[in-house]
Amino acid sequence: MAEKFVSEKTIKFLVHDVFDVSQLVQYPYFSDHSREVFDMVLDTALKMGEDLYRPYFEEMDRLPVSLVNGRVKVHPHVRTIMKECGAGGWIGAEFPYETGGQQLPLTISLLSEFIFNAANYSAAVFASLTTGAAGLIESFGSHEMKEKYLPKMMSGEWQGTMALTEPQAGSSLSDVTTVAEPTDKGYFKLKGQKIFISAADHDGVDNIVHLLLAKIKGAPAGVKGISLFVVPRERFADEGGLEFNDVNSAGIYHKMGYRGSPIVQLGLGEENNCRGWLVGEPNRGLAYMFQMMNGARIGVGLGAAGIASAAYYASLQYTKERLQGRKLSQKDPSTPQIALIEHSDIKRMLLLQRAVVEGSLALLTQCAIYHDLEKVLEGDQSEKYNLLLELLTPVAKSYPSEMGILSTSAGIQCLGGYGYCEEFPLEQHYRDMRIHPIHEGTTGIQGMDLLGRKMTMKGGKAAQLYIEELQKTIQEAREIESLRKYAGDLESAAKILQKVTAHLTSEVAAKKGPDYFLADATVYLEFFGYICIAWQWLKIAVSAVKALESNPAEKDADFYKGKILTMQYHYGYELPKINGLAEILTNSEGITVDATENLFED
Amino acid sequence: MNIVVCVKQVPDTEALIKVKADGSGIDEGGIKWVMNPYDEFGVEEALKLKEKNGGDVTIVSVGPARALETIRTALAMGAEKGIHINDPALEGADAYTTASALAAAIKEIPHDIVFCGMRAIDDDAGQVGSILAELLGIPQVTVVTKLEVADGKATAVKAIEGAQLVIETSLPCVITAAKGLNEPRYASLPGIMKAKKKPVDVKDAAALGISVAAKAKIVKMMPPPERAPGKIVGGEEAAEKAAQLVKLLREEAKVI
Ligand SMILES: Cc1cc2nc3c(=O)[nH]c(=O)nc-3n(C[C@H](O)[C@H](O)[C@H](O)COP(=O)(O)OP(=O)(O)OC[C@H]3O[C@@H](n4cnc5c(N)ncnc54)[C@H](O)[C@@H]3O)c2cc1C
Repeated sequence: MAEKFVSEKTIKFLVHDVFDVSQLVQYPYFSDHSREVFDMVLDTALKMGEDLYRPYFEEMDRLPVSLVNGRVKVHPHVRTIMKECGAGGWIGAEFPYETGGQQLPLTISLLSEFIFNAANYSAAVFASLTTGAAGLIESFGSHEMKEKYLPKMMSGEWQGTMALTEPQAGSSLSDVTTVAEPTDKGYFKLKGQKIFISAADHDGVDNIVHLLLAKIKGAPAGVKGISLFVVPRERFADEGGLEFNDVNSAGIYHKMGYRGSPIVQLGLGEENNCRGWLVGEPNRGLAYMFQMMNGARIGVGLGAAGIASAAYYASLQYTKERLQGRKLSQKDPSTPQIALIEHSDIKRMLLLQRAVVEGSLALLTQCAIYHDLEKVLEGDQSEKYNLLLELLTPVAKSYPSEMGILSTSAGIQCLGGYGYCEEFPLEQHYRDMRIHPIHEGTTGIQGMDLLGRKMTMKGGKAAQLYIEELQKTIQEAREIESLRKYAGDLESAAKILQKVTAHLTSEVAAKKGPDYFLADATVYLEFFGYICIAWQWLKIAVSAVKALESNPAEKDADFYKGKILTMQYHYGYELPKINGLAEILTNSEGITVDATENLFED
Repeated sequence: MNIVVCVKQVPDTEALIKVKADGSGIDEGGIKWVMNPYDEFGVEEALKLKEKNGGDVTIVSVGPARALETIRTALAMGAEKGIHINDPALEGADAYTTASALAAAIKEIPHDIVFCGMRAIDDDAGQVGSILAELLGIPQVTVVTKLEVADGKATAVKAIEGAQLVIETSLPCVITAAKGLNEPRYASLPGIMKAKKKPVDVKDAAALGISVAAKAKIVKMMPPPERAPGKIVGGEEAAEKAAQLVKLLREEAKVI
C-alpha cells in the first residue's frame, strides 16, 4: 500500500461539512463551479500528490540542488512538475477567466496545495511561488506586462519569485538598498544584492521572473521609498528573442532541510546592464508586495500543516505495527508484547499531532473562505472578511509552523530510534519543517504584527469581529449537550484573551511605551493561537456531532468520534496552557527590555 | 476518427474490501470509486489518437448513478461525450450481459476504434472486450502495449510470454489496453470545468433492447481463509530450538 500523507476523508469533511464551501457557488464569480467540480479538483490533486510529487520526496532531499558554472541545478523532475502544473491550469487557478484562470475559490486551491505540500514540500514550492509572483503582475502590472509574462508563467515555462531580502534587510525590509535608476527608455537600471531568494535560478524552467523590491534613486528613506519591479533573468531583446539581463547567481545556501528547492544569492547589475520594469506606482512597492506576502504567509502555514500531516501518518502506521512492552497492569512477561499505539503516552503524541495538523488545516481553510468572501462581497461585508483575514494571517502562518516543529518531533518520538534514522521519513519531515517559523517573516515579526498592528487596527474592529465569530461557534456548540462544557471553556478563554489584550494595549502600551508593549508579542501570539485553534476544533466537533446524529456506518462513526476525541485533547492538553501564558503576559516585569547587553557577557 | 472508450468504475486499489455477511457481494460503505486503471490507458490512447487525427471520443460506461463521476473524469481528461448505461437490472451483471449492453449502445454510433481495458481490477474477468468485439462483429487485439493507426489500419504490439507479437488489423476494431501503452494524463482544471457541460446520454436496458438475463451468476463471495498466526519456537539453547523446529516441521507443517 502506498504510504499515506494526507486524509482525503478529513479534507472532504472540512470542505463539505465544516465549511460548506459549496456556499460560494451562489456568488456570480464562482457560479460555474459546483460541489462536483470541487470534488474532482481535489481528487485530481490527490492523484497528482501520490504519483507526481510523493515518489520524489526522498530523492530530492538526498540529491539536493547544486551550483554549477554559475547556474543552479535542481532535480530533473522539477521540470515535469512545472509542466504538469502549467498544463493542468494549477498555477493560475484562482485568476479570473480574462487572464486565463479558472476563478477557482482559494479554499479549493489551498486544499489542493496542502496535498502537494504534504506529498513533497520542496517540489511543491516552485509552482506556488510562480502563482504568487504572477498574482502580483495580474493585480498591479500594466497590460503589456501581463501579456509578456503571464502566459509563460502560468504555463510553468517560467518561474516566478519574490525577491525582498538583502544582507542588511531581512526582517527589516525598510532597509532595502538595491537601487533603481530611471532611464528615458521605460525601464530602470538596477544594482544591488539579494540573498535567500527561493527558486531564483534553476534549470527546471526556461526563465525566471523576479518580483523585486528596490529603491528608486532619491526616494524617501524607509518603507515609503520602496518600489516593486519586474526583473527577468533573461529579458526580451529588442531584436526579438531573449537576452541575459545581468541577474547573476552568486551562490546557493546549504540548508538543514527543504533541500530540493534552492535559495539563491543574486547579484544584480554587475555589468551595469540589469533592467527592471516598475510595477504600479513608485514607492508603493511594499503595499503591493504585502498582497503576495499575505498569501505567502498562509502558504507557509499550509506547508507546515502539510509536512506535519505526512509525519503524523508515517508515525501512525509505525505505532500500529511495532510491538513493544506490555500494559502496566500486565505483570506476566510471557504474554506477547503489544503494539505501541496501545500505550497511553503514544496515543497522547498521536493526538498532539492530529490536533496540530487538523486544527491548523481548519484555520487555514477558514482564512481561505474569508478571502473568497471578501472577494465576492461588497462594502461592509467585504471589509469584515478582509479584517478577519488580516487579523488571522499571522496566526495561520505561525501556529502551524511553531506547533509543526513539536508535532513532527512527536512523530519522531513515536518511532523511537528509527525516528532519528534516515530509513524512515520522520527525520526529513522534521528538518523540512524547521524553515517555516523563519521565512515570510519570522514568528517574532508575526507576533508584533498581531499585537502591535492587527489587534488595534481600525480601533480594534478586527479584534471585535473575531470575538463575534468565536461567539457564534460557542452559541452553536452550546445547543449540543455533549459540547456544552467545551463551549464554556472557549467562552472563558475568549474572556481571558480580552482581558490580557486590554491589559497590554491600554496599560502597558500607554504607560510604558512600545518597547514594553511588544516585548512579549511572540508569547502573546502563542497564547492567541491556542484559543484560535480551540475555536476551530469546536467548529469541527459541532459538525462531527451532527454527522453522528444521522447514524453513519461503524467506520464513518469512528471517523467522527475521532474528531471529537481530538477536540477533547486540544481542550484538555493545549488550551489550558493559556492560563500560564496569561500570567506571564500580565505579570511581566519587562525583564527582557531592561536586561542590558553587559549581562550577557557570559 | 470516431473513437469509443468503455470505462468501468471500480473500488480504488487502496480500498479495504469487505465481503457482505450474506456473501452476496462486497460492502460498498466507505469505498472510494475510481476509473479502472486499464481503462485509463484506453482513454489516454483515444485522446492521443484524436489529437493526432482529429475526431471525437465517446465514453461508454455500464454502472449505477455513481458511475457518472467516472464518465465525467474521462470527459475532464478531454473526451467529448458520454453514454451512461444505468439500469438496476444490470447491477452486478456478468461479462456477457455487460458486453451486450455496451455493444447495443456502440452499434448506434459511428466507431472506428473501440478501447477497453484488458481487465477490470475488481472482478478480474478480462472478458468484456473480447465478447464486445464478437457482438460487434469486428476484429480484436487484446493486451496491447503499443498502437499505431494509419491508412485505415491499426498496428498493435501485444506482449506474450517471452516475445512480442505485432498484429495488424483493419478498422473498426476493439483494442484492449495494457499497462505500458501510455501514461494517462491528469484531468486539467479547465477540463474539469468543461466536463460539467459535456453531454451524457443515459440509457437503460429497455432503451437498448437487450436481455438482462445473466448467463453467469455469482453464487457466493467469501474472503480467503485467514492465515493462522505464526509460531515462535521457544527454548534456551540453539540445539534445543532446532530440535523443536524439526519436530514442528515434520509433525505440524508436514513439510519434511
Ligand atoms: C529557506 C529560505 C527561503 C527564503 N526565501 C525567500 C524568498 O523567496 N524571498 C525573500 O525575499 N527572502 C527569502 N528568505 C529570507 C527570509 O524571509 C528571511 O530569512 C527572514 O525574513 C528573516 O530575515 P533574516 O534572515 O535577515 O533574519 P533577521 O532579520 O536577522 O532575524 C533574526 C532574528 O531576530 C529577530 N528580529 C529581527 N528584527 C527584530 C525586531 N525588530 N524585533 C524583534 N526581533 C527581531 C527575528 O525574529 C529573528 O528571530 C528565505 C529564507 C530562507 C532560509
